[in-house]
Amino acid sequence: MKKKWTALWRGYSFAVIFLVIFVFYFVVSNGLTWAGMTNILRHSAVIGLIALGAGLVILTGEIDLSVGSMLAFTAGFSVVVFNASRSALVTLVFALACGLVCGLINGVLVGSARMPSFIVTLATMLIYRSLAQYFCQQLDPSLTGGGNSLYRMNQEIAGYEAMFNFGNSKFLTIPNVGWVLLAVTALCVYLATSTRPGKKWYAIGSNERAAQLVGIQVPRERTAVFGLCGLLVGLASFLWICMNGSADPATSGSSYEMYAIAAVVLGGISMSGGKGRMIGVLFGTMSYTVIDKIIVALKMDSLINDTIKGVILIAAILVQTAGPQLREKFRRKI
Amino acid sequence: MSKTLLRMTGISKSFSSVRVLREVDFTVNRGEIHALLGENGAGKSTLMNILTGVVTPDAGRVEFDGKVIAPPITIPKTEAAGIAFVHQELNLINDLKVYENIFLTRELTGPLGRLRKGEMRRQTAELFQRLGVQIDPDALVSGLKASQKQLVEIARALHRNAKLIILDEPTTALNNEEIAHLFDLLRNLRQKEGTSFIFISHKMPEIFALADRYTVLRNGAFVKEGQIADTTPAEVTSAMVGRSLAEGEAYSPRTLGEPVLELDHLSGPGFHDISLTVRKGEILGLTGLQGSGSTELLQCLFGDRSFTAGKVRVKGKALHPGQIHAAMKTGLGMLPADRKENSVVPDLNLLENMVLAGYNLSAWPVRVHAKEERASYQQYQKELNIRAASPAMPITGLSGGNQQKVFLARWLDTGADILLLDNPTQGVDVGAKEEIYHLILQLAAQGKTVLVNTLEIPELRQVADRCAVFYEGGLAAVLPHEEIEANRIMLYSTHAMEE
Repeated sequence: MKKKWTALWRGYSFAVIFLVIFVFYFVVSNGLTWAGMTNILRHSAVIGLIALGAGLVILTGEIDLSVGSMLAFTAGFSVVVFNASRSALVTLVFALACGLVCGLINGVLVGSARMPSFIVTLATMLIYRSLAQYFCQQLDPSLTGGGNSLYRMNQEIAGYEAMFNFGNSKFLTIPNVGWVLLAVTALCVYLATSTRPGKKWYAIGSNERAAQLVGIQVPRERTAVFGLCGLLVGLASFLWICMNGSADPATSGSSYEMYAIAAVVLGGISMSGGKGRMIGVLFGTMSYTVIDKIIVALKMDSLINDTIKGVILIAAILVQTAGPQLREKFRRKI
Repeated sequence: MSKTLLRMTGISKSFSSVRVLREVDFTVNRGEIHALLGENGAGKSTLMNILTGVVTPDAGRVEFDGKVIAPPITIPKTEAAGIAFVHQELNLINDLKVYENIFLTRELTGPLGRLRKGEMRRQTAELFQRLGVQIDPDALVSGLKASQKQLVEIARALHRNAKLIILDEPTTALNNEEIAHLFDLLRNLRQKEGTSFIFISHKMPEIFALADRYTVLRNGAFVKEGQIADTTPAEVTSAMVGRSLAEGEAYSPRTLGEPVLELDHLSGPGFHDISLTVRKGEILGLTGLQGSGSTELLQCLFGDRSFTAGKVRVKGKALHPGQIHAAMKTGLGMLPADRKENSVVPDLNLLENMVLAGYNLSAWPVRVHAKEERASYQQYQKELNIRAASPAMPITGLSGGNQQKVFLARWLDTGADILLLDNPTQGVDVGAKEEIYHLILQLAAQGKTVLVNTLEIPELRQVADRCAVFYEGGLAAVLPHEEIEANRIMLYSTHAMEE
């Protein structure tokens, strides 16, 4: 019986962590409404999609540091495409395609060229953001929406209202973007647990050599996972411009790669790959969103935000990794 | 000063209830080259690890240079006494220079800990001159040839005043000229400086060319010692192999089908010019000493590595080099050696481990059908007698033998009909070994073709229709079932006999 509980804790500690943080929020927020709760989903949407992508990459034992810059790049150019094409649908397709291509670039370099993912995505992190900032200054103001430090959607175009509405309204009392996050999470969970590609990714992260020797085409699968991560960033970019109507190439998505990785790790996915559940990523992301809200509710300086997030991350990992070790030591002494 | 340099008496050691050494006695005289002989698993490495302090013995004592080394025997103690081990996989630091390696951890320093590089270089050059070795003390170790690295390592041992140097298969990476040079150096050191060597090798011609005395171990026990001059390769070989146990033979001849696997002058990393034809339903044994090329041959057939010349035909179709996926499509499956490294996917459960290979033959269906997978698991569980509580249990919770059966099922599940088994009974207990070999016979009777690479000749004797013996990358002999016999194979694989 006791064994069962420890196994459950090991598998689902992310849910417990979320619950603790959430209860704390519930107490300090003094009368939390349903709208307040569903708002957590809204504020988790963009980072959540990114973290899901990063989570898949981390499952295979790699890392993607470029996702934050990719968001700025894809969102910025999606605004440009929107202003030029005047079509919401074209913008969506572009955002997805742009993210996919950015991800595939990482994927080919890591998968086929066998470069270390840390270095490759560090480089593309620099490249994508720099391109976003450079073109914001260079492109015709009619495309960037007037400014030269911000990509702004032209509000006179008919599609703008549709997109803005999509980004800021609710369906069955839950924000639309929250539904998107839930749907994509479900899709990722399905992909990871119930499909052949998902099993192959776990296998690669768990023992790459064995994966190769059962015939898994590791370079191809790696490329696909990075591409998929890019696709999810593309979708996140689309949500971002729907919610905000603009993208700032200097600050949009800044440090998001770190938040994404933190959410993945808090969600119980091992950085060495092969271990963890995709559903954990959703909880990890929401945990961090709730921390933001707690700080607002307590009227604390928002600059203390990252300190608290960092401490919680260390504490969570300490419990996950050091806990069993300490117990082992303790047992040996007896 | 007595003649004896090293005297190990009554050494015993068990690893988790398996007895590896039983009251072994071993002596080495001053200024002699002593060959330590035995099959794989006879206990040579354990004995040497005890001597150098890597492993602590359960019982026994070690006397070196007239003094008992007080237990516990540790690496610093044996180093200080003057025992050095030159490992098969060399222990030099590749990114440092030659002289830096020689002086590693005992660097000469001046005031404020400044390194006296000039002095170290000079001493290294002097040492090399004494040994007759031509290596630049300033060269980076990573740029040296394997033979030069070995010389550097021997030089390092001498620099630390080693009186006894253990050489573990020192010639495997060397060509004939380099071997001759090494042997000259060893003879020279023996004569001039009175250094003793323990020489571990499987190659009879080398042993008889170099060694003065020998000791044979078998199954962890001392068998024999004596002067090399008083013996013959055949005599030593039979001492190593022992009398083969009365084998309950399960083998029975089968009628074989058409040729399904044809190797035509195949060359690749570690083997060359191999021509073989294997028929449907045949069990072909491959054997040879470690590094003789038979493992590499299997890896190349499966596409894990690329062959460089020659042709392979599987059921008449040519095989592309270096493509596992393509090889699998022709019906090949490989159970690699070193299960933990190459087969076990620790984060997937038993069932997932079993069905993983099948996923790669076609992308469809994308969805995993848990019910069908469980059904096929139950079938294999019965067929292969896999002992596991549930298909969802972690693969790492199974015993070695049961894991191996799961991985065999992995390939049967892909429909593979040519199975390449590399050392399939590695780390498997005796009972499970029997079972695995019975399975192999059973599979062959069903028309599967099986290639088994193993060093365990009694096992081959139980199953193989033919046995290909490798020596240094070439095919030394292909023996029919009746001639598969430990003694004979040892002679071929040590090149004591040529076909």
